[in-house]
Amino acid sequence: MEKLELLINGKRLDGRAMDELRKISITASPIRNATGSAYIEWGNNKILAAVYGPREALPRHTADPDRAVVKCRYTMAPFSSLEEHGRPGMNRRAIEISKVTKEVFENVILLDLFPGTSIDIFVEVLQSDGGTRAAGITCASVALAASGIPMRDMPYAVSAGKVGETVILDLNKIEDNYSDADMPMAINPRNKEVTLLQMDGELTKDHFKQAVEMILKSGEAITKLQKEALRLPYEKAQERYNR
Amino acid sequence: MKKLVTPGEVLSDKPLRIDNSLVEEGKTISTIMGMYDDQTSSLIPIEGLWYPRPGEKVIGVIEEARLNTCNVALNAPYKGIIILKFSEVNMVNNDIIEATVKELDKTGTIVLSRPKVLYGGKIMAVKPSKVPRILGKENTMITQVSQSTKASISVGMNGLVWVKGGDVDLATKAINQIVEEAHVSGLTDRIAAMLKSKQQ
Repeated sequence: MEKLELLINGKRLDGRAMDELRKISITASPIRNATGSAYIEWGNNKILAAVYGPREALPRHTADPDRAVVKCRYTMAPFSSLEEHGRPGMNRRAIEISKVTKEVFENVILLDLFPGTSIDIFVEVLQSDGGTRAAGITCASVALAASGIPMRDMPYAVSAGKVGETVILDLNKIEDNYSDADMPMAINPRNKEVTLLQMDGELTKDHFKQAVEMILKSGEAITKLQKEALRLPYEKAQERYNR
Repeated sequence: MKKLVTPGEVLSDKPLRIDNSLVEEGKTISTIMGMYDDQTSSLIPIEGLWYPRPGEKVIGVIEEARLNTCNVALNAPYKGIIILKFSEVNMVNNDIIEATVKELDKTGTIVLSRPKVLYGGKIMAVKPSKVPRILGKENTMITQVSQSTKASISVGMNGLVWVKGGDVDLATKAINQIVEEAHVSGLTDRIAAMLKSKQQ
């Protein structure tokens, strides 16, 4: 594969600084039928997340009599990216991302409150531009908070990577494909617990430390956006009478 | 002062025993979205799930009526069941019923007692976390709505509301407004004003 020049005059292809996030906007509860839902626009990513449950775990053998089980389904719409996505539904990659997303939320939801039930999380990518698993986790955590399912924390996820010797934050599709490393990370903001850490490519120890620092710093902004999205409908109702 | 908190927010640096919260490393942490009052240290959920407690009134729909038992859909994590041995009410599929929670048994079914069939009317679903606000202090709010619309209303703690007779549309509208503005103070007056203006 031909090497692509990703950094020009100290700036990235879309004009961002090295530690700059793409523009993020989150809407809470767009889907009425779901227990909780959220919609995120993260740069060119457009992702819808919905949470159903706790409800009866079906098929019955999946139920755990001691705690609730989390089921997650991450799918990309057939029209979501420039490349061919073929048949809609789960492929190898979707199954992997569903699994890691599930494991993120298994660690924050208070599962022992609802024994024998399942909590179903659906993440649907409508348009993709790199970093969809991170955006999906960020979106699903807002959907879970909006559903009222008790959680220990509201996780967020971002990816960091490396181009040459420079560490960059929040990779988009082109950077993801041609960079030297890509590392998505999900973090619980309160005590900085890491619930997801994957990596493509190679990072040195110093670069890894730098990447983690960048992610933690950007996380404050993401957490703030998540909380604002959740508060907005309630503050709107309040404002109507405070004028 | 009241403030809106989200899951994971620290409520207090001391370990406190508050509903819908947990203590980690000596700090009290909210697990849900709610309004936190730091003077009374109470956390009232604005988004929450219903968890069955014995003695609560619920509204449900008969899913499957059998000889000895009836399965009831309750819009909850678990299925409801009525054991007909203890009641003499005749029920058929799709009947709307009002019943009391007896217990949540080990197999994860809600055992209901004292069923009463509600004939006719309309059923609506609201967020279970808003039910206390719909009822009001000592049922003042719901009495106000049912008196001024002349509708008979039955509110289940599971978030299903049954409305029949009178001005059903107005009663539904009032309940929807309560759900939407449950966290804004001065609600009773606003609902009273709304009902009065619509009636004229």
